[in-house]
Amino acid sequence: MGTVLVPLRLFRYVPGGTSSYNTITVEVEETASVLDALDLAWATQHRTINYRRACHHSSCGACALRINGEEKLPCITPIMEVWDGSNPVRLDPLRNFPLVSDLVVDMRGFFQRLSASTLHMTRVAEDVLPVSVDPMGEELAPVAVEEPEQPPDLNRFESCIECGICMSACPTMATDDKFLGPAGLAAIYRAVQSTDDEQIRTHLLALANGEHGVWRCHSAFECTETCPQAVDPAGKIMALRRELMSQRVGLRKRRT
Amino acid sequence: MSALEPPKIRRAGEWLDIRKRKAGMWAYLLNRVTGIALVIYLYLHLTVLSTLARGPSAWNDFVSLAGSQFFLSLDVILLAGILIHGLNGIRLMLMSLGVGVKAEKVLFGGLVAVAVVVLVAAGIRM
Repeated sequence: MGTVLVPLRLFRYVPGGTSSYNTITVEVEETASVLDALDLAWATQHRTINYRRACHHSSCGACALRINGEEKLPCITPIMEVWDGSNPVRLDPLRNFPLVSDLVVDMRGFFQRLSASTLHMTRVAEDVLPVSVDPMGEELAPVAVEEPEQPPDLNRFESCIECGICMSACPTMATDDKFLGPAGLAAIYRAVQSTDDEQIRTHLLALANGEHGVWRCHSAFECTETCPQAVDPAGKIMALRRELMSQRVGLRKRRT
Repeated sequence: MSALEPPKIRRAGEWLDIRKRKAGMWAYLLNRVTGIALVIYLYLHLTVLSTLARGPSAWNDFVSLAGSQFFLSLDVILLAGILIHGLNGIRLMLMSLGVGVKAEKVLFGGLVAVAVVVLVAAGIRM
């Protein structure tokens, strides 16, 4: 496996200044990811490049950006998949977020929208070990592990890695700063499905039915197309609409 | 922390960047373009109808112009806008009712196919 010289065209912005592009050429393995190339550019040529990364395997969502204009996770995007062999690979920050510096955007609005769902994002640790180990290190008898029983449609939101790609790809986010957005509405859908508390359910559905809720979505389906984890936010928005309309026309009893 | 927020008009301008956009975004853009075009047409139509207030001769002059080949070809464009906007409206309504959400691309392909067939048939008749 050989190496290739790949030109990267990086969006640069320093607070208070004007934006520009830097073209940096890096030598990487043909099997490298875009994030590998960016890491190399930072490590060997421009220590001033601001970008986020952590896990390098699509678990954290921190590195999300636009590659040649398309929202992607650079950690799982092979460089040879996005480089045509001559033109630089263009790297831009996510859209529809305030820009902090270079490829870093302000994600606070995104997390505030997720919080609106009241959905707890942490899960109780599951007992997945085939054996139990006591504090003294002695092996105990194996314990049966029961898989949590969940309907298949309900567990997808747990796949959300909070990368913000869906919010960047959504055209409505460009024109409505208060739109709850694909991730926010998908979280609300998940929370509605998982709660038995009628008060919370009513509150969540009212939120989804509000001025900046599901009716602001114009069904471009870009969120579902770009989501790296197959969360299908657009499908969840349509499900919320169906739920709200069923209540409106009386097909489903309105819970109070 | 001072963060830069591009103005909405610039952000909305990115709608027109259709590189690598999928069927749903094409439907979204077509719906906006045809919607705006139909509103403009509505005002043009009302303006034309107002010639009736100027008497029969003014109206007859317009009708003779409207029968020309050029005007009839414009009618095909109008029909295309009506078909795409109307059929996409039905697609959006179905999906909001939870029908065909998984098949949204097929629905879009179907509406384009129906629009093309009707347009060709209408074009031949004109």
